[in-house]
Amino acid sequence: MKNFYLSAITVNEIKESWWMYALGILVTLFIIGGSLYFGLTAYKKGKELNMSREMMKKTIISSVSFSILPSIGIFIGVITMAGLLGIPLPWIRLSVVGALHYELMALSVAAEGVTLATLTVENFVTIAFVMTISITWGAIFALIFFKKYQQKVINKATQNGGKGFGKILFDAFFIGMISAYIGDAVAKMVHYEVKLIENGAYVLDGSGNPVTEDRSTVVPIIVMASAMMAMAFCEWLITKKKVKWLENFALSFSMIFGMTVAVLLGLGGIY
Amino acid sequence: MKPNLTYQDLMHRQGRIFTLMGIGVMIAVPVLIMVFTGVGPDLEKMFIGIGVLSLIYLPGGIVEVATYSPILGTTATYLAFITGNLANLKIPCVMNARQIVGTTIGTEENEVVSTMSVVASTLTTVFIMTFGIILLIPLRPILSSQVLQPAFNWVVSALFGALGYKYFKGNLKIVAIPLLVMVVLAFLMPGFVIGNITIVIMVGAVVSVLVAKLLYDKKII
Repeated sequence: MKNFYLSAITVNEIKESWWMYALGILVTLFIIGGSLYFGLTAYKKGKELNMSREMMKKTIISSVSFSILPSIGIFIGVITMAGLLGIPLPWIRLSVVGALHYELMALSVAAEGVTLATLTVENFVTIAFVMTISITWGAIFALIFFKKYQQKVINKATQNGGKGFGKILFDAFFIGMISAYIGDAVAKMVHYEVKLIENGAYVLDGSGNPVTEDRSTVVPIIVMASAMMAMAFCEWLITKKKVKWLENFALSFSMIFGMTVAVLLGLGGIY
Repeated sequence: MKPNLTYQDLMHRQGRIFTLMGIGVMIAVPVLIMVFTGVGPDLEKMFIGIGVLSLIYLPGGIVEVATYSPILGTTATYLAFITGNLANLKIPCVMNARQIVGTTIGTEENEVVSTMSVVASTLTTVFIMTFGIILLIPLRPILSSQVLQPAFNWVVSALFGALGYKYFKGNLKIVAIPLLVMVVLAFLMPGFVIGNITIVIMVGAVVSVLVAKLLYDKKII
């Protein structure tokens, strides 16, 4: 395809161009628009169901305070990839479905061995296509199968509402999920091989394989235990000392405590 | 609109429209990059790349919809499958909100709470991303500093540790077996556990639900 935009344009100019930022803004506006629409619909439904304003306020405050720290973590993913791909593409990718480990994997498959010095416009376009198309599966399955799945499976499992096994089912489900993350932290203690990243891409050896390093670590399990203890302390303050305002922030404070422990361990040379 | 359309049906209709638009917006991005640059992708690399990644993410997509949609409810499922970050943000966020306000999964009240929770979480992420990009120059050295790096490396561990206390405390009888299975799996196959967290979550969830069902049938819980 012939370049009609600017024939002498370089990949470095493209990845930081105004129109890439404009695409980022458009995607962001789409997400904001959709979220506000569904938020408003839910709010109206809540009023129709006579749900109290207090209940809805609690939902929003707890969800916002909960999401701040993981969102900063997601933004660091943008900075990590920015070295190779500039800011706008990682920003767009991590705004819709993306996740850092997935994007890096897509990058390494789509443009094997590419570095900051060898990145071409064709690489950049190929990376953008691969990153986008391969991650849409979840949304496609939600689009095609979710309604049937909900009607045939979920509604049946939850039809008793607060009674019966339906009440326990999802707590059990979530306990399984938390256990999996504890398993993940234990696995990182046993053997944790990390692919090295430089300038937003995996570092490759002479034969084109990613260079790995053993970074087995006790930090995640200590962080988990610390956050757990902090949460226990917050719960004690809420229930025994009646510090009611803490309810919406207990999780965030416990996370900050766990993360502070990680920083302190790092300062002590334990990573 | 049909007069007998239930709220759930209506949410499916709107959610599907949003998902279609979302997929359209997502795919429009590389297409527009191609149009603006005038350079197409390397087709061979593109198809190989999509093929290799789909081998992982196609089954992953099925597992995620099956696993997470019951927790999220109707609208929040459609919204979360476009905005992403399910396991590390949206799911725990919804579970936390649900526990704070005390709604039961499967009820309309819970549908409202989970939708509002995913909306609030999505807008927070969008705000932080936008704010971060605007303030990138002063923020970059702080967020990439060696000192702060461990904090954000392990943000998900901190999140599940804190939430773990709440859920484990209230369900001590269910916890032991799934936890033991996961720890044994971690010792036997650490690489698999770290590299396939979506599958491991599903295994954990299935074990945990089976244990809960057994205890429930025996009237222990």
